[in-house]
This record gives sequence, C-alpha cells and structure tokens, in this order.
Amino acid sequence: MDVTVEVVGEGEETLAVDDDATYAELARAAGYSPHEVSVLVDGTPVPEDGTVTAERVTLLRLIKGG
Amino acid sequence: MSGLSLDATQLDRYSRHIIMDEVGPEGQKRLLDGRVLVVGAGGLGAPVVQYLAAAGVGELVVVDDDVVERSNLQRQVIHADADVGVPKAESAKAFVERLNPDVTVEAHETRLDRENAESLVADCDAVVDASDNFRTRYLVNDVARLAGVPVAHGAIYKFEGQATTLVPGGPCYRCLFPEAPEPGEVPDCATTGVLGVLPGVLGTIQATEAVKLLLGAGDPLSGRLLFYDALEMSFETVPYRQNPDCPVCGDDPIDSIERVEYTGGCGIAD
Repeated sequence: MDVTVEVVGEGEETLAVDDDATYAELARAAGYSPHEVSVLVDGTPVPEDGTVTAERVTLLRLIKGG
Repeated sequence: MSGLSLDATQLDRYSRHIIMDEVGPEGQKRLLDGRVLVVGAGGLGAPVVQYLAAAGVGELVVVDDDVVERSNLQRQVIHADADVGVPKAESAKAFVERLNPDVTVEAHETRLDRENAESLVADCDAVVDASDNFRTRYLVNDVARLAGVPVAHGAIYKFEGQATTLVPGGPCYRCLFPEAPEPGEVPDCATTGVLGVLPGVLGTIQATEAVKLLLGAGDPLSGRLLFYDALEMSFETVPYRQNPDCPVCGDDPIDSIERVEYTGGCGIAD
C-alpha cells in the first residue's frame, strides 16, 4: 500500500510498503529508527508493532537538547 | 485587588504590562505572587530565567546540577565569563538579583530526580522544562501531571526546536512520545552542536507560555507542538491528542511515580 509520510520539519513523501508492514518498518523506510520518532495518526501515536492501516502518518522526531 | 497593592517603583517597572487590559495591575500582582520551577539553567533555562525575572515572577525555583563552562557562554546568556566554574543555579540567582529585586530565587544545585521532584514541583504554579535529557523530561511530565501543575516544554537540536505546553486536562508529554529512546539513540548538543541563538527563541516561547499560564491569558500551546526551523525560518504546528491509553493522563492513570522506571524507555512496570 502507499502511505504518505510527513516528517515534521523535513517535508513529506509517499512510500510503498507491504500490506502487513508495521509502523516500525514504515519509520525505517522513511530513514528513521522507530525509537527516535513518534509515529502519529490523526494526532495520536500508534504502536510501532502495529500493522500500517493509515494512508497518512506524521513522523515527529524526539529531540532532547536544552 | 487594586493597583495600590503595587508600590510606586513597581508601577513604574511594570508599567508596560500594567497598561495592557490583558495584564493590568491584577495580572502583574499574579505574576509577583507566582512561583515557577525552572528545570535547568542552561541554554533554554537562561532566557526563561531572564524573562520571567524581568516580568516580575516573584519566586523562581531553579534546579541545575551543572557548573558553568566556557563552551556554554555562546548561548547561555545569563552566565558570564567570570562565572565559569560557578554552579549554574547559583549564577542564575546572582543574575536575577542584579536584574530585579522583586524576584527571589530558590537555587538548588542538584539534579531533579525521583527523590526530590515532588517536593520541588509542589506549590509551584507552573514548571518550565528546560532540561537536556529524557529521564528528567519524563519525570517532570509525570510528577507535574500528578500534582496538577502545567509544564511549558521545550527542546532544541542544532538549528531546530520544539515547544508545547502540557496542561492538566489536556495531553501530556507521554501522549506525544510514549517512551523515551534508549540512551545514545538521540544525539545531544555537545555531540552535534547547537546554534547559539536557538535556545533564545525556544526559551522565550516557554517563558511566554509560563507568563500566560500565570495570567490566565490567551490560549496555551496545549495539544499543539510548535516546531521551529531556524535555517528555513519557519514555524510549523503539529496537533496531537490526549491518548486514552496514556499511563499518566489516560483512562487508567497512575497515582504515583513509584512504578515508573526512569531509565531506558522511562516505562511503567506492570
């Protein structure tokens, strides 16, 4: 399936993933470790081991500097 | 409460606040009666302390266990060359004493941890999270939410920053980031560098939110994460929702931090 991935601050792209792909695999396909981003669907994080069902997701990178 | 509760010097000092309908003498009195915990007196904490003190927030509780290093001075604007080697909390207190005699600083030369967090947050009207590590960020979120105290959150990385405000009744930090990454997975400023002026932008946003919370004015940055890109000179707002499964503010919330492991992913034991 095709999923539109918006990486906050980086823009968006459409990625083709397997029908049984997980959100962790989607994050990796977008170039990020699932541990360094939060995958949001309609403003709520989804479990990284959940199967991708959304056609559009937002990736928000965790940053910690202060 | 009338303007007469402010003395002549205060009426002069805060005249640009008082003249505004959204603040007025009552609002300025609320700021003077306010108590804000600032977690970290580094890049973000410096402008937060500077502007909250200038605004006349009466009590600032500043917690930081670091000492000033020369490499801090490119961005940590309340510390000076002569402060190198001085504890940041002490340097922050000295800065405020020079800036505004209306403000008292309770300086804690320690790290906010699970033993002291609840007592530091208690009795505060707001918390500003200007920390530089995930363990502290999750601890601040959890303790403040349990205490019903709002948090103005900020974080920076190279040329970009994030800010959001965590208000009781709204989503918390865990609603956005359920678990912390493992140590080393997300780089810090010492490793990657940071534009010196960047924490000034984010820290003043956090200070703005803290002042608004004390005044009860405007709309807090709740349920919205503000993303700032200095290279693009752009701001983006990312909406997010309260998560019913959130262990801190969801449908079945924790009632203490007893079972929270503030290591690794900062998860909560079953």
